[in-house]
Amino acid sequence: MNLIKYGEKFFDEIEIEIFRKKEISAVAELNQISSTATRDLKGSIIRGIKDGKIGTYILDSSDEKSIKEGVEKAYKIALKNEKDENWHSLPEQQKYSKNKVNREIKSIREDYLVDSLVLSLKKVKDKKPEAIVVGAETGSVWEETEIHNSHGIDVSQNNAGTYFIMALSEKIGENVTPTIFDMDARRDANLAYDKVIDSTIKKVKNAENVVKAENGEFSILIEPFALGEILQFALYPAFSGERKVKGTSILADKINEKVMSDQITIEDNPFHKLSINTLIADDEGVATHRNIIIEKGVFRGFLWNTYWGNIASKESTGNGLRSFRTGSVGIGFHNMVISPGKKTMEDIIQEMKKGYIISSFQGAHSSNPDTGDIAAVANPAFYVEDGEIKGSTVFMVSGNIYNIMRNVAEVSREQKPIYAIARGIYPGVLFENVKIANVSK
Amino acid sequence: MDVDQALKKAENLNASYVEVRYEDITKNHLELKDGVFSTFTEKRLRGYGIRVLANGAWGFATINSDKVEEGIESAYRMALAASRGIREKIELSPIEIVEDYVKSRMKIKPQDVSLDEKIERMKRLERNLKKTDEVKSTQIRYEDAHGKKIITTSEGMRIEFDVNYIFHYLWVTGLQGDKRGAVRNGMGFVDEGWEAFGKISMEELATKMIKKLRNQMNGVSSKRGEYPIVASPIVIGIIAHEALGHLAEADLTVNSPFKELIGKKIAPEYVSMSDRFVQKGFGNAKYDDEGTRVRDVHIIKNGILKEIMLNREYAKRWCMEPNGHARAENYTYPPIIRMRNTVFEPCDYSFEELLEGIKFGYYLADYRGGQAELNSAFQVGIQEGYVIRNGEIAEPIKDTSISGIAIESLKNISAIGKDFGIEYGICGKGQNAFVSSGGPHIRFDRSIVIGGKK
Repeated sequence: MNLIKYGEKFFDEIEIEIFRKKEISAVAELNQISSTATRDLKGSIIRGIKDGKIGTYILDSSDEKSIKEGVEKAYKIALKNEKDENWHSLPEQQKYSKNKVNREIKSIREDYLVDSLVLSLKKVKDKKPEAIVVGAETGSVWEETEIHNSHGIDVSQNNAGTYFIMALSEKIGENVTPTIFDMDARRDANLAYDKVIDSTIKKVKNAENVVKAENGEFSILIEPFALGEILQFALYPAFSGERKVKGTSILADKINEKVMSDQITIEDNPFHKLSINTLIADDEGVATHRNIIIEKGVFRGFLWNTYWGNIASKESTGNGLRSFRTGSVGIGFHNMVISPGKKTMEDIIQEMKKGYIISSFQGAHSSNPDTGDIAAVANPAFYVEDGEIKGSTVFMVSGNIYNIMRNVAEVSREQKPIYAIARGIYPGVLFENVKIANVSK
Repeated sequence: MDVDQALKKAENLNASYVEVRYEDITKNHLELKDGVFSTFTEKRLRGYGIRVLANGAWGFATINSDKVEEGIESAYRMALAASRGIREKIELSPIEIVEDYVKSRMKIKPQDVSLDEKIERMKRLERNLKKTDEVKSTQIRYEDAHGKKIITTSEGMRIEFDVNYIFHYLWVTGLQGDKRGAVRNGMGFVDEGWEAFGKISMEELATKMIKKLRNQMNGVSSKRGEYPIVASPIVIGIIAHEALGHLAEADLTVNSPFKELIGKKIAPEYVSMSDRFVQKGFGNAKYDDEGTRVRDVHIIKNGILKEIMLNREYAKRWCMEPNGHARAENYTYPPIIRMRNTVFEPCDYSFEELLEGIKFGYYLADYRGGQAELNSAFQVGIQEGYVIRNGEIAEPIKDTSISGIAIESLKNISAIGKDFGIEYGICGKGQNAFVSSGGPHIRFDRSIVIGGKK
C-alpha cells in the first residue's frame, strides 16, 4: 500500500486503520416516532513507531492526502514521546478465516425502519394500551475496515448488523414501573420484533404489582442482559493479559485451576452462529480465533494483544481492540459466549420455590474490576414463589463475583445475543445463596 | 458550498427548522500506564451534525465532508420518513435569536502549554503514587481540546464557540498480600485553564489517593441494610445527579414519578436543589447546543418540586420556557436534554452537628459511579467510607454501594451542612456530557440501603 511506503519514510514501523461506517436508525419516544438519523462517517488512525517511540494521529477522513498529513503529524507526536523499552513490534502477516456478511443490510432504507417501528408501536398499543413506549429504536450498521502495516498486514473486512430495542413502562397510581426493555440483534434483517414486544409486555404486566424484597440469601436467576452487565465490569477485566503481567488480575496464578462452577464455560468467539461481530481480524490485523477462557469452571488462559503478548512471550489471541476515542490498542473481546445448559428458562422459573429474577442491574459499572466485588442494584427484578412471578421489586446484590459464580444451580438452554455493554451471547443463569438487601418500599 | 448558502437553498424544502452544527476540534489524549505512555495521540474531529424538523418530525444526519447541502437533504429525507409515524407533531418553543461569539474564559489554554509540561505533570503524579509498595498499578489519563463549534440555524441564529477543556482521570490499583483495592479520581475544567489545573499539587493528590486505597484494603465490610448516613459533598452531588437530576430532565420526567409532583412538596422545607452555574463547574456554558441561553434551574426550592430541565421541544410540550439544557457530545449526535452542574444548596449545620446522635451509621466520603432508573431507584458506588459510632467517625469501610428510592430518601433528609463542594464527571445517557455535581454534607436518617458482605 502506498500509504505504508510513505509512512516508512518516517517510521520504523507503521500501522494504518481506515474505516467507513454507515448507520441508519429510527427512534420512538412516548408512543410515537420522534426521529430518524443517518450517520455517514469515515476516519483513519495512524500508529507509528520510531526508535521505540509511539505516536498516534486520528482524523475524520479516509482520503490519501489527509492520511499522508496524518502520518507526518503522528511522526511529530512520536518524537515527543519517550522510548518504550518493552516495545517489540507490530504483528506479522496473518492467515484469516472467511466471514459472511449480509450485504442487504447496507441497502436498508429509513422507510423500512420507520415502517417496522410504526408497526411495533401499534402492536404494543393493541396488546397493552396502558403501556408507555419510553423509547424504542431500530437500525442497521454497516462497517468497512482496512488494516495495513509495514510487516505485510493487509486486511479488509466488513461487518454488518441490525438491532431493535423496546423500552416500556406503565404508570401505576402515582408511581411508575421500572423501565422494562428487551432487544434483538442480528447479522441479517430478520429481527424478532414480535418476540421482543411480547417479552417486554409480559414483564410490564409482571411489574404492575410491586412487592418488597426480603433481606437474606436467595436463589437468583440472572437474565442474559443483566448477566452480561455484571460480568463485563466485575469478571472480564481479570481475563486481560496486561493485568496478568502486572499481577493485578485475581486470576494471575490460576491457569488450569477451577475458579467457578463446572456449569460455566466462557469463550470469546466472533464466529458463533448468533454473533453480530464476525470479525476476521482484530484492530491490529491479527487473525481472530475462538478463545476458550473458562472451560467447565476451569480457567484456561488470558486474552492477549500483540504488545502484552510479546512481553509475556505469548502469541496474540487476536484480542487487540482499539479505542477509537484515544487510538490506543488495548485488550478486549469480540463476542463473549457463555455455553447453554439444558433446561429452558420457563422450567427453571417453574422449579423455583422462592427466589428472584434480575432483568437488569443498576450500577454494575461500580463493581471493582480488581477484586470482583460487586454491590449493584437489581432493577427491574421480580419475585418468584412456587414457580410463579408475583411482582416486581428492587434490591441490592452484594458479594464477590467469583463466589457468586461458584454457586450456579442451572444454566438456561436459551442464549440471547446482547450487543450493548457486554457484547456477546448469554443464557440465563440461576445462582444459589446470593446475598440481597431490600431497596423497594 | 458554505453553510449560509446551504441554508438559503434549504428554504425550498418544506422544513420548519434547519440547524447546522459544525465542529473542528483538536484533542490530545495522553495515558501513562505504569511508566509507559501507552496513549500518545492527537486527534482532529471535523464535521457537521445537521437536524431538520419537517412535518413535525426530526431528521438527523452526520457528515464529515463539506457537502452541507447534501447533509441537509439527507436530514430532511430522514425527517419525512419519521413524520409518517408521528401522531402529535413536534414543535419548538421560541427563543431569542442571537449572533454571538463565545470566547473562552481560560487564561492559559491547554494548547499554549508545552507537551513536556503535561508529560512531566503526569510523571510527577505517578512517581508520588508509586512511592508506596501498596500501589501496584496506575493509569493516568489526560485529555485536552481546543477548536471551534458553530451553530447556524434557519431562524438566523449564528453562535460560534471557542471550545476548550481539560480532563484528567486517574485509576490506582493496590495490592498488599491478598488485600486488593482500587480508587479513581476525575477532574475537568472548561472555564479555568492551565492557570488552575497546573496549580493542583500532584503530591497532595497522590497522598489523598493512597489514603483512600489503604482504607479500602484495610477497611471492614459494611453491614448490609438501612442505616443513618452522612454523605459528603462529593457523594451528595452524585445522589443529586443520579437520584433526582435525571428525573428532572424533561424527556425522562414524563415517565417518572416527578411528572405528577411538580408544584408539590416532596422534601422538608430546608431542602433545595438546583442545576445551575457554579464556580469551576464542568457543565458551565453560555448557550446550549440549540442556541438557548443557559439559565439556573431551581429543581427543588424549599422542599417543593419547582422546575425541570428543558430543550426547545419539551419546553413547548410543557408550556414552559427553554432553559438551555440541550447538549450534544459532538457533531455525530443530536442534542438531548442533559444536566450541567447539579447541586444541593447549603444550610446551617456543622459537620460535627450532622454526626451528633448517630449511634451506628456510615459516613460516605467518595463515590465510584452511579445510575438511576425511572421508578426513582438509584445506585451509587462508594469508594471511601467510614463507620459512624456514637457520633464520631470510626474505622474505614471497604468499597460498596448505596441505593434507595429517591422520592422516599428525600423525605428523610434530616439535616444539611453549611459547607459546599463539587465533583467532576462524565454523564452517559446514550452520549457523554461533562457535568459537575455537589452540595454540602447531608444527613439521611433512613431510606438509604448500604450494600456489604456482612
